[in-house]
Amino acid sequence: MLESTTLESLVLGLVQVVLTVSLAPLLLGITKRVKARLQYRRGPSIFQPYHDLVKWWTRESVESDVASPLTGAAPAIVLATVVVATLLVPIVGARPPLSGWGDLLVVVGLMALGRFVLALSALDAGSAFGGMGSSREVAISTLVEPALLLALTGAALAAGSTDLGTIAALGVASGTSWFTPPLIMAAAAFAIVAVAETGHEPVDNPDTHLELTMIHEGMILEASGPRLATLMYAAQLKLVLVAGLFGAAFLPVGLATDLTPTTLVVAIGAALAKMTVAAVALGVLDASLAKLRILALPGLLATASILAAVGIATRLWLPA
Amino acid sequence: MSIVTVLDGRAGEVLLASVGCLLALATVAAIAPRSSLNPRPLSLSLSLSAVACLGILMLGMGVLAAPAVTAELGDVLGYSLIHVRYDALSGLLLVALGVAGAAASLYAIGSGAHGDPAGRLTGAAYPIFLASLALVFGADDAFAFLFAWELMALSSAILVVGRNPGSTVARAGYVYLVLTHLATAALVIAFAIMASAAGSTSFDAFGEAAHSLSPGTRDLVFVLLLIGFGTKAGAIPFHVWLPRAHPVAPSHVSALMSGVMIKAGVYGIVRFGLEILGPGPEWWGLLVLAIGILSAVLGVLYALMEHDLKRLLAFHSIENIGIILVGVGTAFVAHAAGSTALAAVALTAALFHTLNHALFKSLLFLAAGSIQSAVGSRDLNALGGLARAMPVTALAFGIGAAAISGLPPLNGFASEWLTFQGLVDAGGDEALSLVARFAAIIAVAGLGLTAALAVACFVKATGMSFLALPRTVAAAAARETGQAMGSAMASLAVACVGVGIAAGPISRMIGGVAGGVLGRGPGSTIGPLAAVDGVDAAYGSWQIAALLAAVAGAAWLLSRRRAVRRTPTWTCGIVPEPAFEYTATSYAKLIRLYYGPVLRPAREVSVELHPGTPFPRTIRYRGEVSHLIDERLYGPLHRAAVAAAQLIRRIQSGSLQVYLAYAVTALVALLLVAR
Repeated sequence: MLESTTLESLVLGLVQVVLTVSLAPLLLGITKRVKARLQYRRGPSIFQPYHDLVKWWTRESVESDVASPLTGAAPAIVLATVVVATLLVPIVGARPPLSGWGDLLVVVGLMALGRFVLALSALDAGSAFGGMGSSREVAISTLVEPALLLALTGAALAAGSTDLGTIAALGVASGTSWFTPPLIMAAAAFAIVAVAETGHEPVDNPDTHLELTMIHEGMILEASGPRLATLMYAAQLKLVLVAGLFGAAFLPVGLATDLTPTTLVVAIGAALAKMTVAAVALGVLDASLAKLRILALPGLLATASILAAVGIATRLWLPA
Repeated sequence: MSIVTVLDGRAGEVLLASVGCLLALATVAAIAPRSSLNPRPLSLSLSLSAVACLGILMLGMGVLAAPAVTAELGDVLGYSLIHVRYDALSGLLLVALGVAGAAASLYAIGSGAHGDPAGRLTGAAYPIFLASLALVFGADDAFAFLFAWELMALSSAILVVGRNPGSTVARAGYVYLVLTHLATAALVIAFAIMASAAGSTSFDAFGEAAHSLSPGTRDLVFVLLLIGFGTKAGAIPFHVWLPRAHPVAPSHVSALMSGVMIKAGVYGIVRFGLEILGPGPEWWGLLVLAIGILSAVLGVLYALMEHDLKRLLAFHSIENIGIILVGVGTAFVAHAAGSTALAAVALTAALFHTLNHALFKSLLFLAAGSIQSAVGSRDLNALGGLARAMPVTALAFGIGAAAISGLPPLNGFASEWLTFQGLVDAGGDEALSLVARFAAIIAVAGLGLTAALAVACFVKATGMSFLALPRTVAAAAARETGQAMGSAMASLAVACVGVGIAAGPISRMIGGVAGGVLGRGPGSTIGPLAAVDGVDAAYGSWQIAALLAAVAGAAWLLSRRRAVRRTPTWTCGIVPEPAFEYTATSYAKLIRLYYGPVLRPAREVSVELHPGTPFPRTIRYRGEVSHLIDERLYGPLHRAAVAAAQLIRRIQSGSLQVYLAYAVTALVALLLVAR
């Protein structure tokens, strides 16, 4: 176990909060910019998502006249699930800001709570598009969740704990011996489901304006004003969460186990580098892949489950 | 001859006696004619039942921490027929029974006021049903147990069929009676084997005799117990009665059957399989684990295909029994390998989920009953928009839906979290065989799939019932049900939230129960409260709940500073109609296609055109999924049983002399064989 004082944890935690909260929209900007460049467009500035959030935040909300109070409450609850989950993931320090409040299962549970509320609120206006997005989201999540849990269990078995702080600390301490074949298989499985979980090609198209192909955009079609801003920000922060989860469980390079100027700079640099790579990778995927037919998704996502299961079988039967 | 022998003046026994008297009075009140003492027989009977349930709750809380309460009933000429012993494990189930029973009774008082009176027979069966449940959880010898078990089966069957013996209801009751008696037959054989080895029918003697049985006999007893209790629990493949019987019962009875009665099966497996038979070979646990995963995944998949709200909930009971059995199976496997700390974690998870399911499933069935009485239908495709007219029911159902979907910070998540902990720990436990460890990991994926499917199903159930536009005139005219029903649902909803937030102390207490169960077996040294210490990860339930509420509240308050304008939903320029909304059937379509190999959906679309034109006049759609177990297992069994009956019919002549000859032949044969 790592030894760090309360003050050190507090500083590292605060750095993580500031970093994640402020940079989440930037990652979406990077993804869109990369996509545009690969499509020989100039594309908007990487700071465009900030402008969009401000714009939505200052406008009125329009809601359906059949909507229940859920429509007003759902964006806030969705945002809260992502915020709390992000605070449980070690992104800068090897200990998450809320160390001891929850493990990776709590993170997965909070993501499920967000999905439940969002998918439910999508039905509130009685529009067919909301139902379409909602039913697709929950159906795809049934393929994602087993793979997600299996992949994370692969890391949990390596560390002997489901606590993300313990996993990350052990990963940092093990150095290169952390990257065993079973763990790499789990990481590959996680990478596949991460694309689905954050709603990018080949599973979902975040830029689509064709209603029939929307999943996440279909669910938030009825949202406007501050509610749209809240939901969009939650989606942007979710990318930070998923990338941070990958970083903590499978690539714990650079996480700070104590607080010195060097470790802080390294930790911030490593966190920024991981986030940027994730954003660029999603941009490349968005530009280079077509959306898979929705009935072909079980094939892709089952691959992730099987990969993770084979990784665990390898760990059990062929211990290093 | 005394009704209850109070051994000494201890409070537990007095409480037990009062509960018995109250329930007896409730039975009498239901049957007795209307009089000045008894102006509204059913309301009085239900009120007495509700008070008795509070007594059961107190008794349960008492024995959870304190020493066991014992008593003898029906003392005939110095020979007591019925021994009861309420220990901590009984106490946990009594708490579930007390809370769900009190809420269900209160609810029934309210629904009776809505012109929904049950007859005298069902009125009398209800307190007997409650009493039999309380007796099952405390019976301390085979006779008392089987007596209570049969009473429970018969009284619940009366409650299912009694009110409206139409053909489908009668058929559901018939299937239920047949299967429950097959289950009892398996239990009788198992108990007979144990009793002949022990030379006594008391469960204490069973515990001592269990370790002198030959391994083959022990395996046989275990399999018989698993069939008997698995059928009562509704675990797949013994589940066929459950989705038939639960929906047709009155809602407060469905709530108790799903919330509490099927837990008698879980109780039996834990009490007899784990505590009395003690650690068995590893395959026992793997078998329970496999049944658990199968029940969880198939239960929720079939639930998703339903659009009858109560049938949907019934399939979810199968799912949740599956989740509970995953925990129980892990406990069996770990106990067999000597990892008692891990076994305690897994058993704590299972018992905690047993309690939680009693809370949220009762709540959901009661809310479904409110919908049915307000709209006159429980077909999801005939509901919609009820949140405006029925806000209390909507909020209560929403909380129950989030709890059963295993979402933090509610109670369902806490117990599923512990179940996952048990599985991941089992995957890393080197004392277990590699096969068992890998099975635990596969169960992690299976439970993940189950949780995601449950979210899908309850988004569907909640959304189709309460959100958007009403799909029928009846749904548009619905009004909130009365105060008694509302407060019954509200109290269960508060319990779901409260248990979820206080998950830490409650799971530590249940850990003590699990430690007690495992400690009674030989060779284990675990003490109370060790269970949760075995988990090195953490879930701070109240911290997460408080932080979620704070962040969500802040975001909500900030976003309210801008104006909100309400306009009709944009539907591409047409006036919005309920027909534009997704239905329960269309919502589940993608899942129906994704899991097609299991569900094997069939559909039939017939289009009738306007004569002489290519324009359709009517389009009819009919779709169904096939239930593999029903078709592949029970179909052939049913046909074989009918064929066997046809064969045996040949020796039925109707002549008395021939039957006497059969009897004599049988007697001689038995004497020769069993000489």
